[in-house]
Formats: sequence, C-alpha cells, structure tokens
Amino acid sequence: MIMKLLNFIILLFVPFIMMGLIKKTKSFWGGRKGPSIWQPLHDFVRLIKKDFVISKTTSVVFKIAPVFAIATVLFASLFVPLASGSALINVEAGIIIFAYTLGLGKFMSLISAMDTGSSFEGMGASREACFTSIVEPAFFILVASIMALTGNYTFDSLTQIMSNAGSYGVLIAFFAVVVLFIMVLTEGSRVPVDDPATHLELTMIHEVMILDNSGSDLAIYTWANGIKMLLISSLIANIIIPSGLSDWMSVLCYLLIMCLISIIIGTVESGMARIRMSHVFEFIFIMSSLALVVLSLVVARMFGG
Amino acid sequence: MNSYFIGIITLVLSGFIAGTFGKKLKTFVLTLLTTIGSVLCLIPALKVLAHWGSENLVKTFNLNNLFGAVNFVIDPLAAFFILVITVMSLVSVIYSNGYLKPYLESKNINSHLVFLPVLIASMLAVVTCQNALMFLICWEIMSLSSFFLVIFESGKKDVLKAGIKYLVFMHISVLFIIIAFAIIAIKAGSFDFAVLKTVLENNLSYANLVFLLAFVGFGTKAGFVPFHNWLPDAHPAAPSHVSAIMSGVMIKTGIYGILRMLWMVGTPSKLISYTVLIISVISALYGVLYAITQHDLKRLLAYHSIENIGIIGIGIGVGMLGLAYTNPLVALVGFGGGILHILNHSIFKELLFLSAGSVYIKTHTRNVEVLGGLIKSMPATAILFLIGSVAICGLPPFNGFISEFLIYFGMFKGLAIHNFAAVIVLLFAIAGLALVGTMAILCFTKAFSIIFLGMPRSESAQNVTEDCGKSMILPMSFLALLTLLIGIYPQYVFWHIKKVVFAIIPQTTMNVCAVCYEPMRLMQTIAVFAVALVAFITFMIILKLKLTKGKIALHETWGCGYNRGNNHMQYTASSYASPFLSMLKPLFKKVFDIEKPKKLFPKSAHFSLHIEDIEEAYLINPMLKFDEWFLSKFEALQSGNIQSYIKYGLIFLVIVMIGSLFIG
Repeated sequence: MIMKLLNFIILLFVPFIMMGLIKKTKSFWGGRKGPSIWQPLHDFVRLIKKDFVISKTTSVVFKIAPVFAIATVLFASLFVPLASGSALINVEAGIIIFAYTLGLGKFMSLISAMDTGSSFEGMGASREACFTSIVEPAFFILVASIMALTGNYTFDSLTQIMSNAGSYGVLIAFFAVVVLFIMVLTEGSRVPVDDPATHLELTMIHEVMILDNSGSDLAIYTWANGIKMLLISSLIANIIIPSGLSDWMSVLCYLLIMCLISIIIGTVESGMARIRMSHVFEFIFIMSSLALVVLSLVVARMFGG
Repeated sequence: MNSYFIGIITLVLSGFIAGTFGKKLKTFVLTLLTTIGSVLCLIPALKVLAHWGSENLVKTFNLNNLFGAVNFVIDPLAAFFILVITVMSLVSVIYSNGYLKPYLESKNINSHLVFLPVLIASMLAVVTCQNALMFLICWEIMSLSSFFLVIFESGKKDVLKAGIKYLVFMHISVLFIIIAFAIIAIKAGSFDFAVLKTVLENNLSYANLVFLLAFVGFGTKAGFVPFHNWLPDAHPAAPSHVSAIMSGVMIKTGIYGILRMLWMVGTPSKLISYTVLIISVISALYGVLYAITQHDLKRLLAYHSIENIGIIGIGIGVGMLGLAYTNPLVALVGFGGGILHILNHSIFKELLFLSAGSVYIKTHTRNVEVLGGLIKSMPATAILFLIGSVAICGLPPFNGFISEFLIYFGMFKGLAIHNFAAVIVLLFAIAGLALVGTMAILCFTKAFSIIFLGMPRSESAQNVTEDCGKSMILPMSFLALLTLLIGIYPQYVFWHIKKVVFAIIPQTTMNVCAVCYEPMRLMQTIAVFAVALVAFITFMIILKLKLTKGKIALHETWGCGYNRGNNHMQYTASSYASPFLSMLKPLFKKVFDIEKPKKLFPKSAHFSLHIEDIEEAYLINPMLKFDEWFLSKFEALQSGNIQSYIKYGLIFLVIVMIGSLFIG
C-alpha cells in the first residue's frame, strides 16, 4: 500500500524535478549557474494562480482540452509499472489501453491547437500528428516483440528480457532502451526533435501548439507533458532495473535512473542543435529501424535454435 | 419467423404507398412504414440473439425444380446482421425526413422513396436466404436498388459517372460470386447452403479455390483493396443518408458473405488465413492514407470505410489464423473483435456521414478547405461529429476502442502460436494497426478542426446561421449515445457477440466456451476504466468551467505581434496533411494545376493540388485506355446497316451449327 502511494507521489512530482534537472544540466554545460531544481514547481504554482487570456476565435474545445491532457496521462499511468512492483491495473495487452488513452489526450490537444485559427499552432499540430504517426508503430513493434519473446503480454514482460533472451538479452535490452529514449525525446518534445527553449515559433512543435494557452491551462499542459515523459522513462527503468531487488532498493534505482535520463537529455540538448525540420523524420526513423532490429533479434532468439 | 416476411413485404411496399401521398406527407409515411417493417424484422432476430444454443428460426419455401427448397434461416450470424441493418437503416430513414426537404420538388424523389426501403428489404433477404440461387437474386436486387439511390441527382455528370462505375464493379464482383457458387453447386447437386457446407467441409482442395473466388466477389462489395475503387466515387455521389446506409450497412453484406463462406468452409487453410490478414492490413493502411489526402469530406469518409473494412478484415484474419492453428482463444477474440467492429463501424460511420450531410445541407459544399468555424453556428452537429471522430479513431471511452482492443488482444495472443510466419505477420499487423490508428487521428483532427474550428474560410461557411432541425439532430444523438454506451458497457455486447462467433466456428474441433472467461474479464476491466475516465473528465470539466468563470479575458490569437491576421492565413487541410504526405511521396500521383503570376502586374494566378488514387491512375485507367483502343478496332463492324447485322447473325448461327456437330 505504501509502495502504491509512493508510486503515486513519484508520478505527480518527479516530472518537475526531471524538468529542473534538465535545465540545471544545460546551464552546467553552458557555464551558467542556472535556476534551482525546484524552479519548474514554482512556475507551476505561480501559473496555477493566474487568470487567463484566451483567443476570441476559440470555442469550447479550447477550454476543455487541458482537462483531457491531464486526465489521459493520469489514467494511462495506471497501466505502467512505476518505481516498484507491477502496474496498478496489470492486464494483458495493457499497452493498448495505455497508448490509446494517451492518443485521446493527443487528439484533444491537436484540435485545441487548431481551435485558435493561428497558422503557427496549425503548423505545430500538423508536425506533432505527423511525428506521432511514426513513433507509435515503432513503439508497438518493440513492445510486441518483447512480449512475443517473454510470452507475457503485460508490461511486466519488460523486466523479463534478461531471463528469457539468454545471450541475446543484453543486445535486446540495449536497443529497446535506445528506442524508448528516442521516444522520450520525441514525445517529451526535446532537442533534437523540438526545442522547448527557442523563441522562434516557426521551429517549434509542441511548444507552439500551446502558444495561446495561459494561466493554469499552460501549467497543466506542461505538467501533463512532464508526466508523459516520466511514463515512457519508467519503461526504460523497468528494462534496466534488475528483478529481485527489494522494494526500497528498486525505488532508489528508479529515481537514480530518472535523474540519469534527465542529465542525458540535458547533455544531448547542450551538445547538439535541433535537427532541421525536414530531417526530423530521419531521426525518428532511427527509432523504427532499431525497433525492427529488436524484432529480428527476438525472432532469431525464438526460431534460431 | 412469419413476422419477418411480413416485415420485408411491408418494406417493399412502403415506398410505393408513400409515393401516392402529397409532398408534405411522403417522407413521414415512408418513415412510419419503414419503422413498422423494421421492427417486425427485428423481433425474430432479437429472439435468436437472446437465446442460447442452436435455436435457429427456419422457414422453407418449396419452389420449382430449378431452385429446389429455399430456406430462410435466422441463425445468430444472420440475426446480428439483421440487427445492424434494421437499426442503422431506420436511423438513416428518420434522418432523411430533414435531409430530403430541399429535394421534395426533385423529379427523382418518388423513385428514391421506392428504392430506399427496397434496398433495406433486399439486404434483409440477403442475410437470411440460404439458397445460392435465391441469394444471388436478392444480391442483385440490392446492388440495383442501391445504384438507383446513388444516382439520385442524376442531372449531374459526376453522379452518373460514379453510379455507372459502381454498377460495373458490382457486376464484376457478382461474376466471381456466381462462379464460386457454381463450382460447389455442381459438386453438391443442390443450391442449399447446408448441403454446400457439407461438401466444402469434406473437400479442402475445393474449399481454398471457392473461398478465394468468393473473397474477391464479396470483397469488392465490402471494399477491400485492390477491389475498392468504386467506393470513393459512389459514396460522395449519393445523398448523405444513402451514403450512410451504403457505408454503414450495405458494404457489410460483403463481410457477411465472407463470414458465410467461412461458415461453410469450417476450418480455413493457413495460406488463406494469411492472405486475408495481409490484404486486410494493406486495405486499412491504404484507406487511411488516401483519406488523409482528401479534401472532399464525403470522399474522405468513403476512404475511411475502406480502412475500417480493413480493420474488420484483420479481426477476421486473426480469427481464421486461430482456427487454422486450432487456438480457440485467438479465434474467439479475433472473430469477436471483427464482428464487433462491424457493428461499431456502422454506428460511428453513419454518425459521421449524417453530420457531414448536415454540414452539406447548410453550406452546400463538401470541400473542407472553404469551411471553418462551424462549431459556433452548428454546435450540436459539431459535438456529434467530434464524438464520431474520436470513436472512429478507436480512442477510449468510445466503442471503436473496444473492437480494436479485442483485435489487438487476439494478435498478441496469436504471438504464442510458435510459428515463424505467424509471429512475423502478426508483429507487422500489430504495427500496421497502430499506424492506422495514428493516421486516423491525423485525418480526423484535420477534418474536424478545418470544418468546425477556427474562423470561416469562405462566405458559404460564414452565412450559416443556425443548426439543423430536430429530425436530423435526434437520430444522430441516438448514434452518439450508442457509441458511448458500447464503449462503457462492453462486456454485455461481447457476451452477445460471442454467440455470433459460436455460430461461425465449427464447435466440434475446439472448445471455445472454455476460453471465454479471459476476454470477458478484460472487458470488465475496460468497462470500469472507461466509466472512471468519463466520470473524472466530466467532473473536471464542470469544476474547471466553474472555477474559471469570470477569470477569462478575451484577446486576438497570438500572431507573433501581427494583429491583422485574417481567415485566409489559417492553416488549411492540405498544409495540415502536408508534412506527413511529403514523407510518403512515392505512394501518390500528384496532379498540379498551376498558373504562375506573370509580368510586372500579375492579373491572375492560382495553384491547386489534386491527388489521384494510385490504383486508378496506374491500373484502371490504362486498362480502360487499352479497352478503348482494342474495341475501336471493331468499329467497322458497326455499320448501322440492318442487312449486315442480319448477316452477322447468320454467320454466328452457322458457326454454332458446325460447332455442335463436332462437340455432339
């Protein structure tokens, strides 16, 4: 029970720490002192208190979309194993409920961006929809391959790669982690796919979609996006954390991995520029091809003798 | 069972009776009679669905020597289709009360009112008739009556062209069905399905060939790629309520045919199962891909029909794999998902077609590029279209999610079939279905936001002042309610779908009952989840609207400091789809129509982009060209001279006589 409560607290608050840590890493590489790790949380609290300015063009869709954004990530989190133990609702093919619930949130945020009638936001929505359509199939191939390998159709199969794949285990786990990391970058709208810190609307994807959101709406969107990033990172953590640890140890490992992922994201952002928009596809296709590598490894393991 | 035939006869006559009434009463009388007829047909179907076991209703007519005994049977499979046909058609007919108002002066209105119920009656006959010859006759009546419904606005050249294309495709398809039936009927010496079933079950070599032929024939009706080409032309040409019936119900009779063949074959071979699965995945991808390219709302929806037929096919394919590898759980879940998707698709596709019709009635255009901002003038239609869009994308908590989940679940469970081909095909099918889902999201966010959100892009969208009448909103609301109900209470629906699956699967070879528990439990989990999601979102929305009241300041949309943005600066449907389409360039044939600005003071310039169906551009059009060229060689024969025609006849007779000498 305590573990479940702890999972819930981690789900709600660790995203802020991750965002803060990314900023801190970036300032470290930039030679600056940078804002405190708690700054995103302060920003959240400050934004929540504020009033709104919304566009005259918008309709009811724009007003209700943030609710969908936060509700869908929270409900999707029920199906993902977090810091310790299995997912809260650990059913077979839970990945589908997870992905499609997130899809509902994406649908609403896309039409909410289009609701403003702004061409910037239309551009962002169009790109976001496009990139999602490449990311999802790769994600499904990856998870389905691992499920085929382990014969376990819940998300728990991620923790069983090593015990089932024998000598292929390390390779499969490595590629799976890379695929999921690219997914974190894409879905969390980080460099090199998207640059959340830029000031040029033309080059943004996710940030430009919420250009017209203000006050608590903006806060909720940022938070929901952070939680989404955390959920996908949790899948990475589940692959890496060795099974058989005690609960508290696995929570510790989990938090460490989250920090590590944030630091890597921050380092990647400092180390490389955002890819030109027309080449982002190629970057995301790396994910698809690596997912296919996992698939072939799994098939080789299953039928290669 | 008698009430069923009374119902069909009522339906057939209702159009003729309604035609005799005055202008104002016509559609009302038709609705009344169709309701009576549909309810009469629905009662025996519900009886069958509500009972367990093999309590099929049978009525036998002994016709002449040619037909033999003609059995009309309502088994669970037929009962399920009767349910879909009657309910969905009835909703469309009620909707047509409002939709047909502007057309009551049209000269075709009487024939339209006659053929509409005849189409419903013929579909009802098709799904119950178990005599091959009678089946084909009903099938033909169905095709012809729908042809006349398509060419309602026969004054327009496009409509006529689409109608004739439809007619040609339907007759090619019926040819394959005739051959398939003929092959087994010769072998069996009877037209009765039950006899054909015993023959097919015992001759597996025949079964493959017959199933494949029937698949081509029925698949053309259903719209599987590459036999889909009639669909995107015929649906936009027809009036909206007819498109709704055609897309929601009529193309499903093709699926019915495939399922009926499957029932006859029993256990399909592995090769056939893979073929069905792969063709279905391709259909789904192809349909949604071309849907993204479309700017004509009804054409877009028509392509989505191809996509959804593909998804249904994936379910059936997975079920067939389960049968072929004797894995009862995979068979149950695959077929269950496919069959449930038939029902689901008919609900949300009809909802979408009907709301598209409402938009068309108010704006007189189907081109989404000139619409926009309609959510302010037509709020009810907008919300209904939104519900339909979310449902068709397969997102929770609506019904599309349930069937797609079952199909996915079947595919995941199928991975346990420890076979190289099965694992590879299923993994790619899973990825394919995921891609279809995300592409559908892209397509429907595009369609919904360009039509209903933002600012009006033209006068036709600006001039809309009010939503459509109750006679159109109410049937649509009913459908929207159904999508939500199935979404939050799936276990009840699945419980009944199971009986339909049992009717198809040969009970002797596998014990399906034993594996029912697992999907049922999952359905219950999803039900709890969906209810919680709906409750949470509703609560939060109410809370949010309450809390933020009076805290909102209105301002212009942020335009980078530029405050004179106008309607034409908004993102368009083409630009929304453009990044995705540019990625998949080789799969389209783009036709540009460009007039560049010339000289110092350009007077006119325009640019338009039209994307052609690759199959039409590279396969069908060259074939037609070849036909034209080839047949033009025989033009000389057609002299217009009666003497030479008599001469041809004479030559033909002589050839026949000589030929018969040799053969006899």
